[in-house]
Amino acid sequence: MTGAYIRGMGLSCALGEDPEKCVSAMQRLQVRPSKVQLDELTEPLRMPYYRIPDPRDLFDSARFECLMQPVVHMAVEQAGLTAAEIRQLPLFIGSSCFSIGLSEIRYAAALVHRPETALPMPVCGYQDIAAIVQQTLGCAGDTYTYNTACTSSANAVLGALRMIELGWYPHVLVIGVELANRTTLAGFSGLQLVAESVQPFDLARGGIVLGEGIGAVLVSAVKDDANVLRILGGASNCDTSSVTTANADGNSVAAVLRQTLSNTRLQPQQICGIKAHGTATSTGDTAEAVGMRRVFADLPPVCVLKPYVGHTLGACCVTELVLFASALENGFLPATPGFKTPDPELDIHPLKASSSAPDGHYLLNHFGFGGNNTVLALEKTTS
Amino acid sequence: MIRVVSASHYLQPLHDEEPLPKLDDALRELCREDFRRTDRFIQLALLGSARCATGYGLQATCGVYLGSGLGPIGNNIVTQQQLIRDREIPKPFNFINTLGTSAGFYIARNLGLRGQNIFISRRSASLEAVLSIAIADLMLGAVGQALVGVVEEATLPLAAHRQRQGLVEALPLSEGSHWLLLEAGDTGGRQIQLMRFADYAALEGFLKPLRGSGARLYCTRGMETRFAENLRQMFPDNARQNPTVAFHDSLEAAWLTQFLTAGGLDKLFMVSGDNVRGWTLFQFSA
Repeated sequence: MTGAYIRGMGLSCALGEDPEKCVSAMQRLQVRPSKVQLDELTEPLRMPYYRIPDPRDLFDSARFECLMQPVVHMAVEQAGLTAAEIRQLPLFIGSSCFSIGLSEIRYAAALVHRPETALPMPVCGYQDIAAIVQQTLGCAGDTYTYNTACTSSANAVLGALRMIELGWYPHVLVIGVELANRTTLAGFSGLQLVAESVQPFDLARGGIVLGEGIGAVLVSAVKDDANVLRILGGASNCDTSSVTTANADGNSVAAVLRQTLSNTRLQPQQICGIKAHGTATSTGDTAEAVGMRRVFADLPPVCVLKPYVGHTLGACCVTELVLFASALENGFLPATPGFKTPDPELDIHPLKASSSAPDGHYLLNHFGFGGNNTVLALEKTTS
Repeated sequence: MIRVVSASHYLQPLHDEEPLPKLDDALRELCREDFRRTDRFIQLALLGSARCATGYGLQATCGVYLGSGLGPIGNNIVTQQQLIRDREIPKPFNFINTLGTSAGFYIARNLGLRGQNIFISRRSASLEAVLSIAIADLMLGAVGQALVGVVEEATLPLAAHRQRQGLVEALPLSEGSHWLLLEAGDTGGRQIQLMRFADYAALEGFLKPLRGSGARLYCTRGMETRFAENLRQMFPDNARQNPTVAFHDSLEAAWLTQFLTAGGLDKLFMVSGDNVRGWTLFQFSA
């Protein structure tokens, strides 16, 4: 694969409303989860949550549209596309929430005001994000909406790269969206996967902390003078041992890492760093650690970004890609704030302090429910 | 070269006041495990994919490409009722199965696959979206085989199902599971090609010489009327031969797999697009 250049990026997450602010916050090791409560449940829930800073109520229906608009504008404006290019722009979207939050709000309101006719899932389907982005940007190209759990936006990136490779599209806007909704919060609580803090690969790791994120990446076959980052390609596979996590034997993780290296014609020793998925769940981190150890005799520096922004689920690839790419542009690999005590069984030591990020190749790992594993390779070239 | 080596077609018309047909007996014959924590969407996906794959040697790296307009809507309804109406935490398997990708997991497990596993939606055009992605992967060698399907589940009461989709009252509804097994290489079966045209003039230029060839052309929903009418005039047998089927969100897939499983047709075109996003033509030829 020849890959595609990153021409524009937009981001909104717990660290801030644009990539520059987020990079600055990462350099300060800013970790600011807030709290979320679902008091209306028979057994009320309270948990830490990385919300996008925003004065509105967390479950305000207006957030869905208002938070998305500036992010996609930012990515497209940075890329400097012509009006005609924007008009034809295809959208590749990855999300695990879609408009479920809107559906919850409308159903709850209907149960109060007209319970006899209240319709559960009044907003259904996956098209709302694409419709909002098309309206926001005035674009009318093809849309592809991915729902492969936490690999959704990673698979969207991979799909976009392949279409670009074939020459079907010159530019693609890839978007990842995860916004607060009750289904996700209560669902993960019911699975008993939620912890009080994010401690990836740590001996004391106890699970995930959820977060919001909206990321957008404009990828293009054409390089401009400012480009230093190219997504080379990647690979994806399916591990059918469990619907919720990759097998702890690391086989499927090792396989997707090897396939990524093969597809991008890279050798393990050429990798300068890995952005790990690092959910901080017991089995998830074990599978990832064992898989990485199998492929790399000498593991390159590893960092995890979830301590900064939480697990943004279907949006995590694009959200973390923008964070990671912005850090690389600024010359550093981010530290992993939640990591303190190594787990001797994993033998993975994420960076405790940021380190320099040389020109070269980097991997980004993503794993999700449904046995979905997707890895991307990124190239940084400044000279 | 990419070939359609197998196709399966499950389309079930539904009637108000009647229960949805049970799928258990068919699944017992087709599945190598008794998958207990599944929902109707997953069952429909298992049914169609297994029928399509039966008798063909699937490679373990065969990709699964599942499309749907509404996805697992029935399970999402149950989960939302548990959470919002009953104020309870959703049951774990209900929550996990709210994801479209859960069905892909069960398909892969049932067929012993470990390749790429994708769920994609494009309202009213999920087949086109998922088929395009699968063909791209086959062309680039990312997969050697691709099991491509769309699944649309219905929920009861059908009046509410229509209301959710903004459909007119009493529109006949169906649910379906429609699948193609695609393979790279000259392995027998119909050839499938995806062609892209920047504008209508280029598309027309390609199609004009094929008038009178007995090919059938199929315009997908949402096409601007002037283009659809022009295309139908070029292939006048089209309207007469299009079967009438009860509605679900991926109707194109129902038409396509019905033709492919019936056989006897040399060439079929499926066309979609406009002059902004460009035109996509899928060509199926013997």
